[in-house]
Amino acid sequence: MRTVTIALAITRKDLVSEWRSRELVPALGQFVVLALVIANFGFQIDSKSAPAIAPGVLWLALVFAGLVAFGRAFAAEREQASLEAVLMTGAPSAAIFAGKALGAALMLVLCEAVLLPALALLFGVQISGGLVAAVLLATIGMSVLGCLFAAMVAQLRARELLLPLLALPLWIPFIVAGGQAVQAAMGASGDFDQALKLLIDFDILFVVLTSLAARFVLDD
Amino acid sequence: MSAIVAERIAHWFGSEPALDAIDLVVDRGDHVAILGENGAGKTTLLRILATAMRPSSGKLEIMGLDAFRERRRLRGRIGYLAHAPGLYPALTAAENLEFFCDLRGADRARVPEALDMVGLTPAARRRAGELSRGMQQRLAIARAMLHDPLLLIFDEPDASLDADGAELLAQVMKGRTTVLATHDQALATRLCQRLVHLRKGRLLGAGSRLRIVQ
Repeated sequence: MRTVTIALAITRKDLVSEWRSRELVPALGQFVVLALVIANFGFQIDSKSAPAIAPGVLWLALVFAGLVAFGRAFAAEREQASLEAVLMTGAPSAAIFAGKALGAALMLVLCEAVLLPALALLFGVQISGGLVAAVLLATIGMSVLGCLFAAMVAQLRARELLLPLLALPLWIPFIVAGGQAVQAAMGASGDFDQALKLLIDFDILFVVLTSLAARFVLDD
Repeated sequence: MSAIVAERIAHWFGSEPALDAIDLVVDRGDHVAILGENGAGKTTLLRILATAMRPSSGKLEIMGLDAFRERRRLRGRIGYLAHAPGLYPALTAAENLEFFCDLRGADRARVPEALDMVGLTPAARRRAGELSRGMQQRLAIARAMLHDPLLLIFDEPDASLDADGAELLAQVMKGRTTVLATHDQALATRLCQRLVHLRKGRLLGAGSRLRIVQ
């Protein structure tokens, strides 16, 4: 119970800080829209090609927005020297990590709330409930992995370079399964249910693994 | 009974020695000041005593507990003031303290009392990022006191504090074992019974205030 309370306190603190400073989400929103506009000019989009091209563009925009969002999650704490103060409270590392990951995930969800309508508008694809579910499920796994690596590299000078190198290879399962689910949801061939089940399996696996690893990453 | 027993604590940053075989015993209720030049190892020693970092070698007991195995438990009894205030600039002074109450499982009702103790009641609704450096330091001191700690580890607590700062520190240290680092020998003499000198990671002298002043 205390773990949940601590995690929610950290998430609330991150969201309130973001709401007041408006440092990250507006910039991410602009970034994903610009990425879609550029892709829209770069590809020959018509009603036939859109379901094949749009999922790739969606995941590219999401992956790069995620790298920025998760990178900031711990970098800001280190810059403010506030992470040590949080750790010195004796709060469980898993709770601190869960709170940070949830906060970063919710910021990415806000970014997705801009991304998906913009995708529908620019690529003429339909945004279904299944598509939204696939993106949200991928966001969970990407968030826990992204935050774990962000915590690992936050103290390093080359963190902007190292975070993608560490996170991207482990995000591939989410991009593959998520890509299949989104393509199927947009009407292309593929088994939507199987891809969604795979995303849930990956989420469970990585949420458990990262919670266990958080202690070693945050405390030492 | 001793509050802190440090035996042959040593620490290296890469191949650079920061602390060299430090032995230190602090009795309960003692106020100890660590003095030394920049780079003497004061912050490293305080971070180790606060359980914020592990030394490369040595043994450390705090309140009878192994500081490395029981550090989570000990953190509930230590009030640590780091070199940087480590506050959230977008949150108000009161929100900063409420957040740390939530993390420590402390009652949020302690917040007004803590703000009053450091003289920040009028600034309770101001964002931490808008406060002066001295006010931020006062807020960080209030945060360190939220859980009514038995042991205080303060790294340059007088940094940016005004003339009333020494009075505030004397008030919060009253009845608590305290180890603080400072460059201000006059302040150390005023607040502490024992002064410990560090030079290049080595302990030079640890004695009573009177002996050193004489």
